Amino acid sequence: MFLDAPSVERLIEAFRKLPGVGKRSAERYALHLLSAPEEDALFLSEAVRTARERVTTCSICCDLTETDPCALCTASDRDRSTICVVERPAAVMAIEKGGTYRGVYHVLHGALSPLDGIGPDELTVGRLMKRIEAGGVSEVIVATNATAEGEATALYLSRQIGERGIAVSRIAHGVPMGGGLEYADDVTLSHALQGRTRL
Amino acid sequence: MNLVELNCDGFRSLSGLCFKPAPGVNIIRGHNAQGKTSLLEALLFAATSKSHRTSQETDLVQHGAREFHVAARVQRSDREVAIEVNWWQGVKRVRVNGLALSRVSDLLGKINVVFFSQEDVGLVRGSAAQRRRFLDMELSQLMPGYLHALQQYRQVVRQRNELLRGGRRPDPDLLGAWDEQLGTHGSVLMEERRRFVESLAGPAQEAYGQVAQGERLQVAYRPDLRDGVPFTEVLAASRDSDIRQGMTTRGPHRDDLEFLVDGEPARHFASQGQQRTAVLALKLAELELVRDRAGEYPILMLDDVLSELDTKRSRRLFSVVRCGAQCLMTTTDLGSQDALFGAECVYFLIRNGQLVRQ
Ligand SMILES: Nc1ncnc2c1ncn2[C@@H]1O[C@H](COP(=O)(O)OP(=O)(O)O)[C@@H](O)[C@H]1O
Ligand SMILES: [Mg+2]
Ligand SMILES: [Zn+2]
Repeated sequence: MFLDAPSVERLIEAFRKLPGVGKRSAERYALHLLSAPEEDALFLSEAVRTARERVTTCSICCDLTETDPCALCTASDRDRSTICVVERPAAVMAIEKGGTYRGVYHVLHGALSPLDGIGPDELTVGRLMKRIEAGGVSEVIVATNATAEGEATALYLSRQIGERGIAVSRIAHGVPMGGGLEYADDVTLSHALQGRTRL
Repeated sequence: MNLVELNCDGFRSLSGLCFKPAPGVNIIRGHNAQGKTSLLEALLFAATSKSHRTSQETDLVQHGAREFHVAARVQRSDREVAIEVNWWQGVKRVRVNGLALSRVSDLLGKINVVFFSQEDVGLVRGSAAQRRRFLDMELSQLMPGYLHALQQYRQVVRQRNELLRGGRRPDPDLLGAWDEQLGTHGSVLMEERRRFVESLAGPAQEAYGQVAQGERLQVAYRPDLRDGVPFTEVLAASRDSDIRQGMTTRGPHRDDLEFLVDGEPARHFASQGQQRTAVLALKLAELELVRDRAGEYPILMLDDVLSELDTKRSRRLFSVVRCGAQCLMTTTDLGSQDALFGAECVYFLIRNGQLVRQ
């Protein structure tokens, strides 16, 4: 459709690389930006550029941050003996929204997946082990996703960390709070039953 | 449960088709290539979002068309279930009672069907993979937890095989992380398959005896891993050969199902008629099993079952089918069959994709 406009093709290609964006959406976004006021479009490119320039990964927890170490790693009221391990920065945000976790984090930037060529070296596992070896850590909570890859990552970490005599726990997967049992899907419900706790 | 109405548009050769069967036995008559199998296939597709003839959904859309629609209205004992499947250029949307399903797997179990198709004879004669597919399809329909375990298990096998590929010797901790999950999900598969086959074996034997008098059918689950040996131990023992072959050599993805007629493996020794009867008996047993689990009979579909049976077997089959389940049966025999089936059956004629009640 844009045979005469290679620059537009390039823009569409750029959008297609984003997660969850297909051909149709990519075209829609590109066309929107091209017909929007120029300053709106340039605002986006400027925002991308500044964020990219300012944001790095925290040298302690590997989360995305503008200051290194990040605010969570330097906060005085966080319990540094408990580390919650997650796959993505988004998970940190989600847990922080909950507001009850007082420990610190470690972001792996993915999960083990041989099919995608991702082993421990492609993740920040080495950095996590160094943190643990440095001492002062008494518990590691593995909060990777409830997928085969997230589960494999959790099992691998528990073997690596468990050898060092540190408590490793896995978050429970269960029914959403405030929702009736009848709204939980069957698989979630049976997992919640398997992971039941004694009262 | 009873199918009240089935509408097909652009599904194979069927367009503007409206099928309103009666609660009991319905006989759909028609010459070859008139759309009989397609009609049953459409109901199977509404119930499971799968076809028995193809895994390519583009085969289902009418030649030259870009979309198809299948809608089924089913009366269950306590509620009505309306399923609509809209397929448009490779995108499938499923609605149940007007609500869009976010995952197609949520469709399973909304309505239950048991289907005997021409391809099913392969269950006895064909590969173990075909028999595992039968177990997986039926168990997925009966229990959502099974489908989840199956999907996870398959993904773990894929990941683990990748780790083993090319004779690499992976870090034992890394391999162990996948092994442990094979054990967790694999044991669910084995346990459910064992229970399913056990509860199927008795009724299958009974149904077989009723249709083929004097012969005895046994159905047995043949798991790759023997009972009592923990999966993780088997994996540890086969680790070297797994590494040598670059894949996961043991586990429920190697399971099989065995049919014995009068004590002999039916795969090698039974006649074609015996093999068909064995599969038919299995399907009839499933009917009882689904009734136990779902609380009511599923819809029974028998495609072209009569043409291969002699009058005696047909008559006996028919008395079994009259158990109370709604039955949709196709045949190429256009002659009067009142003598065989009795007058209480409802007859339909299909010609060139057009259906009329007779
Ligand atoms: N996608 C399709 N579009 C149009 N016609 C099709 C399609 N797939 C199959 N057919 C045709 O539909 C006809 C009916 O097939 P089928 O339901 O198997 O008939 P029957 O079971 O009555 O023998 C056949 O002539 C077949 O070639
Ligand atoms: Mg046919
Ligand atoms: Zn940090």
